Amino acid sequence: MDDLRHDKDYTLYKPILETDKRFYIILLILLGVVAWAGYMYFRQLQTGLGVTGLNRAISWGFYIINFVFFIGISHAGTLISAILRLSQAEWRRPITRMAEVITAIVLLIGAVHPILDLGRPDRILNVFYYGRLQSPLLWDVTAISMYFTASTVYLYVPLIPDIALLRDRTHKFKWFYNFCSWGYQGTEHHKKVLGKAMTILMVIVIPVAVSVHTVISFIFSMTIQPGWHSTIFGPYFVVGAIFSGTATLLVVMIAFRKMYHFENYLKEIHFQYLSLLLLIFSIFWAYFTFSEFITGIYGNEPMEMNIIRYKLFGDYAPFFWGMVILNFVIPIIVLSFKKLKTIKGIFLTSCGVIIGMWLERLIIVVPSLTNPRLPYEIIPYVPSLTECALFMGGISLFCLGFLIFSKLFPLISIWELEEGRTEGLQEAKARLDSYLPNVVITGGNHYE
Amino acid sequence: MPKWGMVIDLNKCTGCGACVNACRMENNIPVVGAEAAQDGRTMDWMQILTEYDGEYPNVRITHIPRPCFQCGDPPCVKVCPVHATFVNEDGLVGQVYYRCIGCRYCMNACPYTAKCFNYFKPKIPEAYEILLNPDVTRRMNGVVEKCSFCHHRLALAKDTARYEGRELTEMDYQTACLESCPTQAIVFGDLDNPEHEVNHLMHSNRAFRLEESLGTQPKVYYLKREDK
Amino acid sequence: MNNRKKMESPWIYAMQLSSVILMWVFVTGIITWIFNLLRLSIYLKDAQNATLGISLVVIPVFILLASVLTYVFIGMHKKTDEQQKNI
Repeated sequence: MDDLRHDKDYTLYKPILETDKRFYIILLILLGVVAWAGYMYFRQLQTGLGVTGLNRAISWGFYIINFVFFIGISHAGTLISAILRLSQAEWRRPITRMAEVITAIVLLIGAVHPILDLGRPDRILNVFYYGRLQSPLLWDVTAISMYFTASTVYLYVPLIPDIALLRDRTHKFKWFYNFCSWGYQGTEHHKKVLGKAMTILMVIVIPVAVSVHTVISFIFSMTIQPGWHSTIFGPYFVVGAIFSGTATLLVVMIAFRKMYHFENYLKEIHFQYLSLLLLIFSIFWAYFTFSEFITGIYGNEPMEMNIIRYKLFGDYAPFFWGMVILNFVIPIIVLSFKKLKTIKGIFLTSCGVIIGMWLERLIIVVPSLTNPRLPYEIIPYVPSLTECALFMGGISLFCLGFLIFSKLFPLISIWELEEGRTEGLQEAKARLDSYLPNVVITGGNHYE
Repeated sequence: MPKWGMVIDLNKCTGCGACVNACRMENNIPVVGAEAAQDGRTMDWMQILTEYDGEYPNVRITHIPRPCFQCGDPPCVKVCPVHATFVNEDGLVGQVYYRCIGCRYCMNACPYTAKCFNYFKPKIPEAYEILLNPDVTRRMNGVVEKCSFCHHRLALAKDTARYEGRELTEMDYQTACLESCPTQAIVFGDLDNPEHEVNHLMHSNRAFRLEESLGTQPKVYYLKREDK
Repeated sequence: MNNRKKMESPWIYAMQLSSVILMWVFVTGIITWIFNLLRLSIYLKDAQNATLGISLVVIPVFILLASVLTYVFIGMHKKTDEQQKNI
């Protein structure tokens, strides 16, 4: 263990090797919230969905909103990690692990939410015995299981060299690291195998990820309800998902940077690049939202306008305009000006984006149900304590998953950093050579 | 194959609600209680919609009884993940309570909001237990239910006709709602059979269907109100 | 590199192999399920084309993922000349 302390990357090993009191306190709090959520769900199983705030007309609420929300966040991870790896962007190296972990954990949580929403979860096997692949819900089941498998494999394969490092250089959890590392020894052959596997996975994970959120949007757009039956929903949801995912990635990065002192690894430049990505997606998202609403308003079709009026000027106006401010106004202001684009500013903006994207899902799901075509008297939806508890439980499970992962595996890919320091340099130089004629590298002594 | 449908004359409907209650009695529809009713969870297979035209004191109120329209191209059937709602061989949209997983997707897909959900274990007040209809399944907690055009009566009628060795006539299969209507505003029968009254009424120049442009092909026609 | 023989105990190897086999069991389960839905849709004459289309996409992706994992597993445990030299 002595040589590890002198290792230049010891900070990355530290969370695994040393545990302080704060960890246990946070762990206990999170476990408490999850237990409370579990108890509230147990009560729901006993009494029925009546413990929620749902009613006859508004039969989808928090559970479906959170489902779309959590699955949306999952896009960060794998998409960013895969796209950055494919484009061989060197700055991705410290980020990919955290991104992939976000995806794996949040997909699990998101996938559980439709089951929480069922009136008869004891009959879930009916989906397997009697399912109809014509139903968008079944498309969801297939797409999410595909994405979960792909993202778990895509998390695991690049994790193998790091597990091997832990196996060789630490004395903790020996049998566990032995089991997980699958006998990796860092030979040329092993590296080639992993490289090839990662390339295939990188390529396959991107269309799978895009299909997942498209398919989730199809749950809404395949119905003929006003406000839902929109052709733009597929790309809209994907863009929104990447947007909320990038924001979550930024929040997670900043949080762990502070907690585990990763300042040397997660530098300003990483946040600058990612916040540029966040800004781009904020503009993309605003563009799609604008298209969605202007076509509705200009067309002035009565059912659509009912819902648009309800969202913009009616009961949901505070949520709608809050969403616009959090998702568009604040990111544009904060991320365009260097003075405001500090780590703190980026953190607050990202938190705002996460809240704003949750509001967007709320605004999509509930107003269309509150304004049906026929003249009913609708009681507005007010979420109950059970739904809030399960929401808190979902968030706590996410934090819990991360905490446990940080105890077992390095949050920043150690072997990729090492690869970047040695081979990354040659590859970057070779690429420059291939783009430009007569490249002469001057200045700086690390190119010799 | 007969195309069972309804024609409802809006001139004759007074909004009395007898059809709503007859349906409740016939189909063992549970009583949700005052609290759940305030939360918007009342369960009625037949509902009466009210359209208000004009300003007080010149208000014209139209009452529109709305059963499930048993659409020819039902949006609810398309989205059910487990075949719990389906088009059966009589052309009606069936609902299998024992297969429903309670996802409520069909409720959201229906453009007429014709379905309701059992948010709690359904309760029938003790005094009404004796009035329960043995021909209709009692539903359980967490499943979706809707008007079935009294499909159990069709099964009974078919059996009776087969036993007596004859064909089904118009009066053999009539739904519970129209039986209690004091003004006979609801007429039921085979829309394709020229001997049935619904066939004449549906071709009337007052006949229209709700949200026809959606292409759901509802089987319930309404006869427009005529102002004297 | 010479403590390889010490670490790869047969129990660990068996557990690793069983994890790969579990992955294949999972994928086979998914494929069986999709085939069941396909059979049901043909029997009920309800959206056969859609079901077929989705099956044609989903099944190859799952098989690909399980194959990649198996490829990695075999690659890790294959004894090449290079490793013989190191040992």
